Amino acid sequence: MHVELSNVTKVYSDPPQIITALQDISFQVNRGEFLCIVGPSGCGKSTLLRMIAGLDRPSSGQIRFKGDLVTSPHPKISMVFQTFALLPWRTVTENVEFGLEIKGLSKKERRAISQELLEMVGLKETANLYPKQLSGGMRQRVGIARALAVDPEVVLMDEAFSAIDEFTAEALREEVAEIHAETQKTFLLVTHNLPEAIELADRILVLSARPAKVKSIVSIEIERPRNPTRSEFVSIHRDIFSLLQAELESSIMRHRLSELKELQSLRDLER
Amino acid sequence: MGLSLLGNRTFHRVRDTSRRALIPPAWVISLAVIFIAWESISLLGFVSANELPPLHDVLIALVQLVGTPTFLQRVGQSFLNVAAGILLAVAIVMPLALLVGSRRQLDEAITPIIMLIGALPDLAILTLLVSFVGRGNVVAIAIAGFSAFFPTYFTIRQGVKEIPTDYFHVASVFNAGRTQTFTKLVLPSIFPNLLTGLRLSFEFSWNVLLAVEIIASVAGIGSFISTALGSAAHSITFGLAAIMTVGLITIAIDRALFERLENKIKRWRY
Repeated sequence: MHVELSNVTKVYSDPPQIITALQDISFQVNRGEFLCIVGPSGCGKSTLLRMIAGLDRPSSGQIRFKGDLVTSPHPKISMVFQTFALLPWRTVTENVEFGLEIKGLSKKERRAISQELLEMVGLKETANLYPKQLSGGMRQRVGIARALAVDPEVVLMDEAFSAIDEFTAEALREEVAEIHAETQKTFLLVTHNLPEAIELADRILVLSARPAKVKSIVSIEIERPRNPTRSEFVSIHRDIFSLLQAELESSIMRHRLSELKELQSLRDLER
Repeated sequence: MGLSLLGNRTFHRVRDTSRRALIPPAWVISLAVIFIAWESISLLGFVSANELPPLHDVLIALVQLVGTPTFLQRVGQSFLNVAAGILLAVAIVMPLALLVGSRRQLDEAITPIIMLIGALPDLAILTLLVSFVGRGNVVAIAIAGFSAFFPTYFTIRQGVKEIPTDYFHVASVFNAGRTQTFTKLVLPSIFPNLLTGLRLSFEFSWNVLLAVEIIASVAGIGSFISTALGSAAHSITFGLAAIMTVGLITIAIDRALFERLENKIKRWRY
């Protein structure tokens, strides 16, 4: 197993409340697999990803990478951010080389890697520009190149396409699919965009509303490249969507019920 | 600098130089107006030359001063005091502001106190300081540092607070250690704020220093000006010339150092 989560629970204490964000999450990711994680917004998808990245720790349960417990960021696990998180004072090249610089590679070695990657994501001409001179799509290309530069085995993507306009995002998704096919690295993408998940994933992990549990794991066996107008695509979309919708409704119901209870207790107090 | 703003197209440049040849920059005209006004006031005898010497005399005095080693030494002394004061302030402020900027509770405990101290009048503290420490350069440096403390504290603190959390995530994901996170992430992030702080400090402490030198009898420009203005009538000319020198030095350093660094930042800042 490449990445393995067993009974991962995340609890936040915000006195006097205790909020369980994630509860008993267990799943496994195979080497070279593209796994997408979807779920209602606010269910803790990003927290889950951050814990796999070693940026956050589970309250209980374990996360393992190639059998080793993940407690801090692992050099072979890299990440792409929703906000791109490029360092604005660094040029495109210098941003891509950030991880390599930390690793202590010489300038020559770094240049060789960054040039290759910038060529791969089609940003060779902008190598010496600053992030502010790039469009959103181009910035995320830099983010992807930076994540790949350290030659990771696992690439985590946190809503990587959601801050980009739809046309650019679609092009970028196709490129990511190509990169995945070429490099055979393991990809984990957190998204709230269901068609995006179906387009990219080998399997989709569906989380329930808070406290999030694994609702379902759906294998997508549609041939690539995937066309969202094909009937298989549409039917998988419908299935997962109804799962999510049921989740959303039940969470709204619970919410209302708890509100009702509060109201009731207020009325009791008044008497 | 001016040319690059106008783009590279040749016809633009050609048209622009021809226009420039006809009309001098606006500030030259205003300077000329001031020169003429000043000259006529003292030459036409509205005010006696003892109270307001004609500008050309002051300018001649300025040139003479710039050629005088003792005066230059005093300028150098004042400048060193300001620089030492600012460095001292930054050395104390930097760790403090970093700590306060990253921990909210500490910020809530410390910043109000610092605001309180900052509201105290610099010059009143100066008189206290003189009675404690005595006179001389130490007092000058201390008070320059005191007035540099607040602008740097608040700008650096703000800079630390504004660092996006994701930047730290980036550093962690790529396994940056504490030192690397500081040098490759925190320092460049707060650099624009640090620069603003230094720029303000420079102005603040330079102004305060001149007063300090008079009260604490430090051999700098401040005391030079005060003795010049206080002695025989013709020395007013030298006093004014020295004041102008201070102004010119301030502008020169601001342009040569701070403006240039700021332009560098503008290249990448959103």
